[in-house]
Amino acid sequence: MDKRLMDMPNFRPNKTPVKKTVKEIVYHIVGIILSLIFVLPILYMLATSTKSEFAYASSIGTINMFLPDFANSAVAFENYKNVLLNYDIWKYALNSFVYAGIVIVLNILINGLAGYVMAKLTFPGKRMLSFLIIFLIVVPVETSIIPLYSIVKIMLGLKQQMSVLGVILPAAISIFNVFLFMQFFQNIPKEYEEAARIDGANTLGVFFKVIMPLSKPILATVAVFCFIGVWNDYLWPSMILPAANDGSWPLLPIQTALISIKSIEGITTGEIMASLVITSIPIFVIYVAAQKYIVKGFGTAGLKM
Amino acid sequence: MLQTSIIIFVLFLCAFGGFVAYDLATAKRRKEVYHVKSSLTAYLMLLPAVALAFLFILLPILYSLGYAFTDYYLLRPNDIEFVELDNFVAFFNELATKGTLYHAIKNTATFVVGVVPLQIGLALLLALFVNRKCFGSKIFKVCFFAPVVISLSITAFLWEQILAPSESGLLNSMLGVFGVPPHDWLRDPATAMPCIIVLSAWQGCGYQMLIFLSGLSNIRKDLYEAAALDGANWWGKFWLVTWVGLRSTFVYILITVFIGACRILTQPMLMTGYMDHTVTLSYYMYNKGYTERWVGYSSAVALLMTIFIGGITFIQRRIFREDK
Repeated sequence: MDKRLMDMPNFRPNKTPVKKTVKEIVYHIVGIILSLIFVLPILYMLATSTKSEFAYASSIGTINMFLPDFANSAVAFENYKNVLLNYDIWKYALNSFVYAGIVIVLNILINGLAGYVMAKLTFPGKRMLSFLIIFLIVVPVETSIIPLYSIVKIMLGLKQQMSVLGVILPAAISIFNVFLFMQFFQNIPKEYEEAARIDGANTLGVFFKVIMPLSKPILATVAVFCFIGVWNDYLWPSMILPAANDGSWPLLPIQTALISIKSIEGITTGEIMASLVITSIPIFVIYVAAQKYIVKGFGTAGLKM
Repeated sequence: MLQTSIIIFVLFLCAFGGFVAYDLATAKRRKEVYHVKSSLTAYLMLLPAVALAFLFILLPILYSLGYAFTDYYLLRPNDIEFVELDNFVAFFNELATKGTLYHAIKNTATFVVGVVPLQIGLALLLALFVNRKCFGSKIFKVCFFAPVVISLSITAFLWEQILAPSESGLLNSMLGVFGVPPHDWLRDPATAMPCIIVLSAWQGCGYQMLIFLSGLSNIRKDLYEAAALDGANWWGKFWLVTWVGLRSTFVYILITVFIGACRILTQPMLMTGYMDHTVTLSYYMYNKGYTERWVGYSSAVALLMTIFIGGITFIQRRIFREDK
């Protein structure tokens, strides 16, 4: 229930402090139980990452699945050590960071500009484009991945260096982000822009100096979802990035690399989970840091389809 | 393919030019004023987005649409023939035999009908639950959002362990305490789809919770005070203030969750494989296109699916349009 309801004067005046305390306790117990249900996969991941293959096998199907194994403390961080030293996870993570960084910048610039134009400027042909935006959100894109693959291959050729662009460019455009930007910018009052215009700023100047600083929530939202998208994507990079001549995969992003790491002979479940924990950390850090912006970013007067 | 792409690009430009001309011609009637300079700036600023969207989104969709009328088979890409409506005839023939396709449509419908209310309801409840400022509510919020960012392959594997058919499966061993015999949740046609529905709602609802939360943060506090003064109880406040305030957020969530649900593919793929009692329309399409490499037919299914989803979305928008 909304806290604001309870703060109000005259709200259930017969409520005693004791009742309120009981209510708080019940609220937290329910919250903790619900949270446990939702963090099960994380508990499972963390617990398994500390186990040897034998300890893991004997825990399957029991509640021990979710409990770490610190009985043998020498083994507990063995998996992490192995993963970091033997499988070069950090290299792939670095690749992913670079891809994500470039995609975030391009995505915000390209889609932000388009969203701004669609929200604030009038020009002939606008109605067709806004119809096209809704249409492209509705169409399932997964269905067209084969033609997309052929188009990118024709554009970029088969060289490995060029195929990096094949990872970045398709991710730089997102109709949904154009839509989000459009919704957000529509709610920025005209007066801000007009004031800047009087000061002699042109349209681009208004966009960068007035609109962008006012749009931190939506920028954070788009950046976070771009990052999660690039970081978690594995199917497309595995299609588009060919192996180097010596059969190694120096350009792979982290999730795609994980798939090939998983199939390395002799790797244990604990090691796989340790690598998954390592790859989940950046997402959590970024999400927790940007949390309050995300709520605001979606907020601002609601999204209207 | 290069030539075709250029032709499509020219056609796209022509279509756009047509709309521009139409807008210019009707500008007076619609009392719209266009300035040359500001319009040119607008086009210039739109250029990167339109170019990328054309290349990487629109063009592939158009190709896929075109393939629906051909016998494109992935292993012989240079021998594509126009087959008119053969793929669609094949589609309805297969539907009539009540084969995999029939199951796929049935399962997708079950999934959509089950997951849309469950996920949205759960998201709304969670949003109301954490929408207060007290110790712990922020932590709860992060926890509820956690499954959204964990990759699907981990959650799918975890749920397989929870739903494992043997007596030692987590759910089975928990139910065993109450004397319920072990059950093969994912192989039994009666329970497989409900399990996938619950797991999908569990996985996805954190995202919608965030959107509901931002909707809640926009509801003015004084409205609750006014309702309290008028003697509204908890339900009255929820129905008259919260629900009304969340209306546009709700429509947005309904449409996006519905579209997402129609496309369900990964969960059955990772958890059960290609089986009649869990196959979905997207999975069927994927299987025809990738595994059996029959791209033409797969594209025809995609086209029908797009028309269907688009139609329902259009109806939903009509029903919930804010007309007051």
